[in-house]
Amino acid sequence: MSSTAVERAALMERLSLRLGVVGLIPFLLLLVVVVMTLVEPRFYALPNLFNILRNTSFLAIMACGQMLVMTVGGMDLSVGATAALTSVVAAKVMSSATETYGVGPGAAIVLGIVASVGSAAAIGLLNGLCSALLRVPALIVTLGTLSIASGITFMMTSGIPVYGLPQPFITDFGRALWWGVPAPAYVAIAVVGAVWLMQRKTVLGTYIYAIGGSSHAAMVSGIPATLYIVLTFVLCAALAGITGLLITAQMGSGQTNLGGDRLMLLSIAAAVIGGTSLRGGIGRAEIVGLSALFLSTLTNALNLLRINSKKELVVLGVVVVAAVAIDSLGRGKAAVE
Amino acid sequence: MNGASGVQSAVVGQPPAGERRQAWAHVVSLGYRLLVPASPVILALGFGLYVPAVLSLENIINIIQQTAFLFVLTCAQTIVLLTRGLDLSLGPSVSMISVASALTMTALVGPGGSNGIVAALAGTASGLLIGLLVGAFNGIAVAWLRVNPFVATLASMNICLGIGTSLSDGHPVFGIPEEFNVAGYRLHVLGVPMSIVYAVAVGIALHLLLQHTVVGRSFYLLGSNPRAAIVAGWPRRQLLALAYVLSALLTAVGALILTARAASGAPNLGGGLSLQTIAAAVIGGVSLTGGRGGLGSALIGSFFITILSNGMNLAEIGGYTQMLVMGAIVIFAVALDRIARVDV
Repeated sequence: MSSTAVERAALMERLSLRLGVVGLIPFLLLLVVVVMTLVEPRFYALPNLFNILRNTSFLAIMACGQMLVMTVGGMDLSVGATAALTSVVAAKVMSSATETYGVGPGAAIVLGIVASVGSAAAIGLLNGLCSALLRVPALIVTLGTLSIASGITFMMTSGIPVYGLPQPFITDFGRALWWGVPAPAYVAIAVVGAVWLMQRKTVLGTYIYAIGGSSHAAMVSGIPATLYIVLTFVLCAALAGITGLLITAQMGSGQTNLGGDRLMLLSIAAAVIGGTSLRGGIGRAEIVGLSALFLSTLTNALNLLRINSKKELVVLGVVVVAAVAIDSLGRGKAAVE
Repeated sequence: MNGASGVQSAVVGQPPAGERRQAWAHVVSLGYRLLVPASPVILALGFGLYVPAVLSLENIINIIQQTAFLFVLTCAQTIVLLTRGLDLSLGPSVSMISVASALTMTALVGPGGSNGIVAALAGTASGLLIGLLVGAFNGIAVAWLRVNPFVATLASMNICLGIGTSLSDGHPVFGIPEEFNVAGYRLHVLGVPMSIVYAVAVGIALHLLLQHTVVGRSFYLLGSNPRAAIVAGWPRRQLLALAYVLSALLTAVGALILTARAASGAPNLGGGLSLQTIAAAVIGGVSLTGGRGGLGSALIGSFFITILSNGMNLAEIGGYTQMLVMGAIVIFAVALDRIARVDV
């Protein structure tokens, strides 16, 4: 009798939690869309929609990585710096491969992608090893690697954009429309889909949730937690690298301050608004993707309404705190420590 | 009962490997605890071998003066770190307070610098008031709305950044009354520059607060064992919010003396200070999981960071390399802390 009551209560709680997490963002998104429909017809112009789609793609990929790291109880402040490092490495490798070594554009692009995503993964490896093996708090490690990665990026370029990317990389990929849709959108859908599948259908995904829920319990039950934590950090950095590559391809040059801290902050905001818990164990790729769409739409709307980027920060701050407060208050007493 | 005593007698005969390892860990930990306070000195001596100018009297005075600013802000950061929180909004709120107080002063100061004292006082008051507001925002978000401190202060960081850069359209605010500049920076008391006087005052106040008041001790408890605070029936939320408010008020003090030094309201004054103060506190021994640290750690950490950057400047190490070194050293210092320290 009482056990069914408890079960029913648990079911209700799970249901309301699920509704709370999923339900909020579509509502907010709808609100932005409705307001924009009423006040600004340019919102629906195709170039603007493509713009939103591109920014959503960049953000969703990076935020998925951020979400994975948060799911194991960490966080990654170095994603923005990693993306910038990727951008510069890719541009340097691609331009010198074509200009100095006379490699064809196709091979140069492959080389550039491998080298740049590899260097991003190296930063991720450093993050993972320091936080999982040396048990340095992720905040401090990634703060350190943020500084290290930007240091390397600036040393490589002295802050000057790197030109000389192979044309096909820009015209056939970065700025291209594939079947009428910007190319980065396909990459983002693939990434979010892959992470979603990984979280739902694979043992790896289950392990990552388990480690985030309680890394001690995970280790006791024989999951090599250290290995998986390192892996998550590497994945996160690699995804940040992919975002860096996509932005590079769109901009047409390697940028040392690509997005700056803004990208990092937005990725954390997207993950957190998407219901990812900073205490670990909770986080879902599809909702994070949705909240990336919401944030990109919101910033685009603010731009169209001529609210400058400084005031936009204020709005973003308020939205983040409100979204998270509603979420954590909705979860009731269970959320306290 | 019998079995237990049997095991115990066996233990007395020969200490097992685990116990010996623990004894070693205590020795290492003790050595490490001695090393931490010495680390800024060791660092300075190390730079001194390479660049003698680091150890010149002039430069040492310079280092002490530079440290005063970072120290005040690191104290602010330490208060919230003790409660297992952190304050990412510290840097941008320094910028915002700087600009806002400068604007208040320039609005009130009369032609030819008349009315300066009133303007300076009003500017100081407005700076402290804004600090209070930022602290209240953070405190309410963390304590009542149950937003994770990282997220809450990330949000207020964006808000402060937005307001700070919009107030003066990102331009520095000049025309601060002479009196403010003198009282905040240029005046010497018994030959000691004002910034150091303020830093000493803040240090003493913080030490008294943390070690000799119930409120201060409660910050440690909130960090080391939040459940215990709840079980003991403490006004946990009020105390937590108070920590954020006190921290933000100290931040405002730091912002005001930095403004006096710059002699202008600078929208980029705060820059990387949030992270720098966290790094300084943690290097000095404050734990990110709360409940450990105090005046000494803030002092050691801020000296360490200042000497490191001063030494690298004098050694003519480029800015980009400095970023790299700073990042690596922060990670290394905290890793060492994790490995070497045993909490008794």
